[in-house]
Amino acid sequence: MKKNELLEEILAEVDKHPEIMSRRDAMKYLTMSPMAASIIAGATVGATTVNASDAKGKILIVGGGLAGMSTAARLTNTLSNPDITVIEPNPLSTSYQPGQTLVGGGIWPKSELVYQRDDFVPSGTKLIKGAVTAFDPKNNKVTVDGKQEVSYDYMIIATGIMLNYKAIKGLTGEITSTSPDNAEAKKTVGKDGVHSIYFQDGSEATFAGIEELIAKAKKWKKGEPKLQAVFTHPNTPIKCGGAPKKIMYLTHANLVKAGCRDAVELTFYPNGGKMFGVPEYHEAILNQFKARGFKWNYKHNLVEINKATKTATFNHHWTEKGAWDEDLEEYGVELKSKNVEVKYDFIHVTPPMKAPDVVAHSKVGSGKGWVPVNKETLQHVKFKNVFSLGDVCAVPMGKTGGSARKQYKVVVNNIISAMEGDQKAIDTTNHKYAGYTVCPLVTGFGTVMLAEFNWTKKPTPMVPLDPTQERWIWWLLKVYLLKPMTQIGMLSGRA
Amino acid sequence: MIKQITAIALATSAFFLLTGCGEDKKVETKTYKYTTVQVYEKTCIKCHGVHGEGNPAKHTPALNDRTAGEMAQDLFDVKNGGTNQSSGTEHDVMEHNMQKLVEKGYDYDVDSMAEFLSYLAKKR
Repeated sequence: MKKNELLEEILAEVDKHPEIMSRRDAMKYLTMSPMAASIIAGATVGATTVNASDAKGKILIVGGGLAGMSTAARLTNTLSNPDITVIEPNPLSTSYQPGQTLVGGGIWPKSELVYQRDDFVPSGTKLIKGAVTAFDPKNNKVTVDGKQEVSYDYMIIATGIMLNYKAIKGLTGEITSTSPDNAEAKKTVGKDGVHSIYFQDGSEATFAGIEELIAKAKKWKKGEPKLQAVFTHPNTPIKCGGAPKKIMYLTHANLVKAGCRDAVELTFYPNGGKMFGVPEYHEAILNQFKARGFKWNYKHNLVEINKATKTATFNHHWTEKGAWDEDLEEYGVELKSKNVEVKYDFIHVTPPMKAPDVVAHSKVGSGKGWVPVNKETLQHVKFKNVFSLGDVCAVPMGKTGGSARKQYKVVVNNIISAMEGDQKAIDTTNHKYAGYTVCPLVTGFGTVMLAEFNWTKKPTPMVPLDPTQERWIWWLLKVYLLKPMTQIGMLSGRA
Repeated sequence: MIKQITAIALATSAFFLLTGCGEDKKVETKTYKYTTVQVYEKTCIKCHGVHGEGNPAKHTPALNDRTAGEMAQDLFDVKNGGTNQSSGTEHDVMEHNMQKLVEKGYDYDVDSMAEFLSYLAKKR
């Protein structure tokens, strides 16, 4: 990819939305933003930072989504004699998931998201169109679709995460974000005011749901009870931790645009007691909520949806001062909880999420399901020839494409060191994953707060701008730059 | 177009100069009042036991049933009140207790404690 080809690609994206930004303005921002510039540069020169290696070995990548396929591409770019196999059942695995928020908010059509797996398989890489049904790490092999055994010297687990809608009473389906095999979820999600941007079809249905809400809101008269729009956040780790809030901001923006914001009350019901683990971002989000007239009720975990009565049931939990604890030499706390019923006209469900059962219940999984890896080297804690990245690996925080973008380079370096028999390099000298995560929090049409952070739980902005501010240039990044950066730069193993 | 690309190239160099190319930050060193072993033997041991086996009578879980890596993540979660934006934590009681312990000076490094717990589990 030549530098100006990538630039043209970005500008072609800009041209599709002249109402938001002209090509001339986009060029101006591109030249002004060092972040944007670094991305363009990174997408084109990144490949040169990896040294070619003659290391040999059969590499198996389980899962060909963004994390798995980008890793395959970078290994292909790096190894002189690559022997790589990717196992992936979903024909749309390389779709652009970060755009689902924008589709849900009515900014993009669904067609902007859909990318075919087969177009992204690196040249020379073998693709098995199936699903792993068993792991046998002691004998270095897996089983595909219950019949075909595939052996490996080195394995990378990048299966992604499951959206567990059926864990909520009244909802159905356990699906992935991009697989067209989602009929079970669509029986209950994506209609009747129950929506979820977490899967591709669901994101399209969400905007239809917002339009229904707007139609109702336009008929609302002063003095009538307000329409209720409810937004949930579950008690499990989730991919894209900001999306439950982003869709709330975009629902608000659409209601304002339609001139009927007064008719609707928007309330956030998260399981946790904070907006964000990083205090600076927590405060910033609270201020954004207040400025938009949002309500929020902490420590509410969605457990049931009754579509007939349009009622959502939450388990509300809290702690109370308990008895004197002699061991602690302080008063302890007691857990309390009760179920709370909330009426909704529109509800956005962020489903509980989990590792696929085939991973969780195997020797490569863990008690909580996620693949246990060293959080800096991404090497499996028990099997040294196994690595994991993306949503399925057990690193604190950060199940985002932005994390995967940092992780896949670490995995590639470390796999090559492993192939060269150099465990010491993995443990000491190779570049470590520092927990970087990025959340471009879309706060409205034309504004984004770029929340970057890592395990220090401090803002870690890549550019010296106050990271708690909503900015127009981050909108440019989110809406125009990240897609080509991901679909062109990252999936080719370069950026 | 050529002009703009030149501008981008300049901005890029400025970016790398400003940030030192990437996400590596200075390592913050933190000193603790007690060693990891002292923290365990003065506090944790009362409820989680000599080998981290837990105590059903006190409703305290075992700490010796997972790898050091998994343990480090659980400790990180407890000390930070959850690791996902608004998912919260399943360790509400221990989160409270941990805050009290930290106030009393029993803070510790999570990786070091996780290593110690896995050593205890093996010694058993």
